[in-house]
Amino acid sequence: MDPSLRTVKIWDLPVRLFHWTLVLLLGFLFWSGKTGGNAMEFHLYAGYLVLALVIFRVLWGFLGSTFARFSGFLAGPARTLAFARRLASRGAAHVAGHNPLGGWMVVVMLASLLVQAGTGLFANDDIAIEGPLFALVSKATSDRLSGIHVWNFNLLLVLAGLHVAAVLFHVLVKKENLVAAMFSGERRLDDPAACAASAPGVRFVSPWWALGLFLLALAVVILIVKRPF
Amino acid sequence: MNNKATLAALALAVGAAWSFQAAAQVKPETLVKQRQAAMTLQGKYFGPIGAMVQGKMPWDAAVVARNAGYLESLAKMPWDGFQPSTADVKDTDAKPEIYKEQAKFKSMYEKFEGNASKLAVAAKGGDQNAIKAAFGEVGKDCKGCHDDFKVKR
Repeated sequence: MDPSLRTVKIWDLPVRLFHWTLVLLLGFLFWSGKTGGNAMEFHLYAGYLVLALVIFRVLWGFLGSTFARFSGFLAGPARTLAFARRLASRGAAHVAGHNPLGGWMVVVMLASLLVQAGTGLFANDDIAIEGPLFALVSKATSDRLSGIHVWNFNLLLVLAGLHVAAVLFHVLVKKENLVAAMFSGERRLDDPAACAASAPGVRFVSPWWALGLFLLALAVVILIVKRPF
Repeated sequence: MNNKATLAALALAVGAAWSFQAAAQVKPETLVKQRQAAMTLQGKYFGPIGAMVQGKMPWDAAVVARNAGYLESLAKMPWDGFQPSTADVKDTDAKPEIYKEQAKFKSMYEKFEGNASKLAVAAKGGDQNAIKAAFGEVGKDCKGCHDDFKVKR
């Protein structure tokens, strides 16, 4: 192994679990949403889980580990543009966590997921199933939100496609194995010094904190869905 | 045959012919209203079965059997209202594709009619698992056709 390459931990367990659980849930939601019938009952449960995951991820973006924090990966327009220009040149990107473009993609995807889960709560399919908050709005409003639910799903597909394409670009062109990193949490960096400069004072927050935050998010979702008050 | 009887028969024949012609000339707007009414009632009787198989409403076997029986008949009603003459009616969510892909449309509603009949049979049988399975198949048919032939708003 090239001694200049050093293995560095980037993604904590909560981020990795969040990512892959979301992938599985979105696959199931896609299938059940297209099929209809009795699968729709589970479509709703999977949707609640996605909502809880997104709320958790937003909280983790403020309270979590260094590379999970929005403040760590959200760059201004100047830096984002500079990074995009540099991307065309050869060699690795020299960013340990989310690069500026990837960071904005995280925010856009989270926003789109929030819209998707949020509109789903009020949606109806004009057949036999309604979101848990359908009763709170008029049929016309629910129809409009159901339309957004369908439209925004196509946006999500485009975003997921862009995300996968960008990862493939890094794997094939930049020779950075981002897929393995999302499993192991570790990346091999050929310039650890440059990366350290991009993320000073790396700190990992205990996964138990993450579990607590996720349970909190889940409790919020259950309150929204069940409306005991 | 006396004159009276001949006259009556003639009047009857003219009346019948006239009423057939009237039926053939139902206004497109009326056809749309009629098929929408049938669809609306399908929803009325299908919905509670859904609420019961999903556990949102207490199970009532008599209501399930009655509703499924109504649905079996209602399932057959909308389709002759989808005449090409209605393609220009504004107040409808029916996509014009219905009149371009009539064979596909027909095969879809026939599948739906068949599954609605199966649901009615299951509902009379009373086995909740069988009813739920049959309910799911009908729901899929609704959705498949809506996805292809109903405008999303």
